[in-house]
Amino acid sequence: MNESIVRLRNLSKSFAGVDAVQAVEMEVTPGERRAVLGPNGAGKTTLFNLIAGAERPTAGAIELFGRDVTNLPAWQRARLGLARTFQTSRVLPGLSVEDNLYVAALGADGGHLRFVANRRDARLRSRARGAAERVGLADRLRSSARDLSHGEQRQLELGIAMVAEPRLLLLDEPAAGLSRAERQLLTQLLLSLDRDVTVMLIEHDMDVALTIAERVTIMHYGRVVLEGTPAEIRADQRVHDIYLGRTYAV
Amino acid sequence: MRAYTTARWIVLAVIGIMVTLLPELSPTYVSSSIALPTLTTGLCAISLTFLSTYGGLVSLAQTGLFGVAGLLAASLAVESHVDPALAGLIGIAAAATAGLLFGALASSSTGTYFLMITLALGEISYYLFSAVPAFGLHEGINAVFPPSWLGDPVRHPTAIYYFILLVAVGFHLLLRYLVRTPFGMALQGVRDDPERMTALGYNVRVHRTLAFALAAAIAGTAGVLAAWTNTRISADSISLGVTIGVLEAAVIGGMYSLEGAWIGAFTLTVLSIYGPAFTDRYATVLGILFLAIVLVSPGGLTGVLTSIDRRVRHALSNQQLPALADRGASEQPRG
Ligand SMILES: Nc1ncnc2c1ncn2[C@@H]1O[C@H](COP(=O)(O)OP(=O)(O)OP(=O)(O)O)[C@@H](O)[C@H]1O
Ligand SMILES: [Mg+2]
Repeated sequence: MNESIVRLRNLSKSFAGVDAVQAVEMEVTPGERRAVLGPNGAGKTTLFNLIAGAERPTAGAIELFGRDVTNLPAWQRARLGLARTFQTSRVLPGLSVEDNLYVAALGADGGHLRFVANRRDARLRSRARGAAERVGLADRLRSSARDLSHGEQRQLELGIAMVAEPRLLLLDEPAAGLSRAERQLLTQLLLSLDRDVTVMLIEHDMDVALTIAERVTIMHYGRVVLEGTPAEIRADQRVHDIYLGRTYAV
Repeated sequence: MRAYTTARWIVLAVIGIMVTLLPELSPTYVSSSIALPTLTTGLCAISLTFLSTYGGLVSLAQTGLFGVAGLLAASLAVESHVDPALAGLIGIAAAATAGLLFGALASSSTGTYFLMITLALGEISYYLFSAVPAFGLHEGINAVFPPSWLGDPVRHPTAIYYFILLVAVGFHLLLRYLVRTPFGMALQGVRDDPERMTALGYNVRVHRTLAFALAAAIAGTAGVLAAWTNTRISADSISLGVTIGVLEAAVIGGMYSLEGAWIGAFTLTVLSIYGPAFTDRYATVLGILFLAIVLVSPGGLTGVLTSIDRRVRHALSNQQLPALADRGASEQPRG
């Protein structure tokens, strides 16, 4: 199977006066781990929003799983097997940790217009508890999401995306605001993900990004300026100039 | 602590018994002038509270939908001599259908915009009904009677009281059940973060619209029952003043829980009956009371009651320190 999971053609998005994403061409193959890097304002989050359907492109086309989804609403793309995390945690504050994960699993399952809970829900709930375990929230199942610490909310955010068992996972800065220890756990978790899942990752933390990624796309001012393996990226002078040099110095 | 829990149960049981035996315990007047309006207003208010508490949608169209059902049922029964029960069911179905339509129109917005759209829909219903002769214009439709098996709602309200009590309890339990179903859990997710839910595969508009239609059916039921108990209904039964009254009932009772709708409806009904006798500035006093409750407790009277309850429990449990300290310690490890 050499069909790509994500194929972007001439993809552009402008906000009043800002060309956030400009003529991006990209192909991500099944099972790939792709990092999308670039300085603040490079257009990385906008690119994810376009792929997920949260924003409509100004021009260009998006194919997911070999199908043109340019005009498909976000919720239908999710049903095709796309899940994402947000740069700032977007958990459901009024629900418990378990209910957050259950609702996430239910959404992907497509059965949320049911008015009677049945065996399917029991299965979804056990999946929810499994996901809580994987992201380290097993002892917080009953806590309201609103009461979680920042780090725990990041964990839950990741759990919400993973519990849907997606084919394509978009992670927007999952390590942001995490402690060093938490980052290591996150890296382990991402490395342990099944190869059935294709992962796209935006990350400012180079250790996390370059450990996980097999290919890296560098964005700058809305454009893709370079694509290559982590080794190629590390070696490239342009990357150091616009991005890596500064970050590595920290 | 034990004693307090028992006392709490006793209070609840006494209220339960009083509600159950009301027609035996009190004069007819209490049933017909306090209990019945409390139940019909409460039913309308709970449709609003449900949408607000679990869907994050504050609707001002509930009285409009109340009117759709009530006026249609009354018109069918009185003008077209349709059996009142059948006319009532048709009215409720019409309200649910209108709810689907209203919901579809309003469901892409939230907050102030949703409030404004539903206000407009409510106003349109009002002006429409007050302009159509079949609905009696402003004079309304008189001599609306419930099905004969419910008796005379004015002189012998016992049967209709029990019937409406049953309906009210039924809807209350239905809503409590519903919010735990897959649909209800998802609705709460939509309330918390619609964009998140979209990214999880939910069609947020459809979800909101269905919730709205369900609430419309409940408000519609209230409309039919109110037409029966008042033996009349008119466009003025759904005027802006009534809309605000239902909103006040919901807010005074507390919009964070379904129980609030009943407490608010009861409070407002009692105040509207006895208030004017004490002061000729009744509306002003009511406004100040409303303001005070909103300022003191965003959760309304229910919020006041639960916070008193929590404080008493807290105070009492502090006296039993050893047992709780143990439990506290074992819950500590995560900081
Ligand atoms: N909804 C919006 N309206 C207007 N401008 C926007 C909007 N979203 C993004 N932008 C602009 O588009 C550009 C790209 O933003 P984007 O959030 O995609 O960058 P990013 O690469 O994710 O940055 P960061 O690393 O800071 O998260 C920025 O100039 C931003 O101000
Ligand atoms: Mg970003």
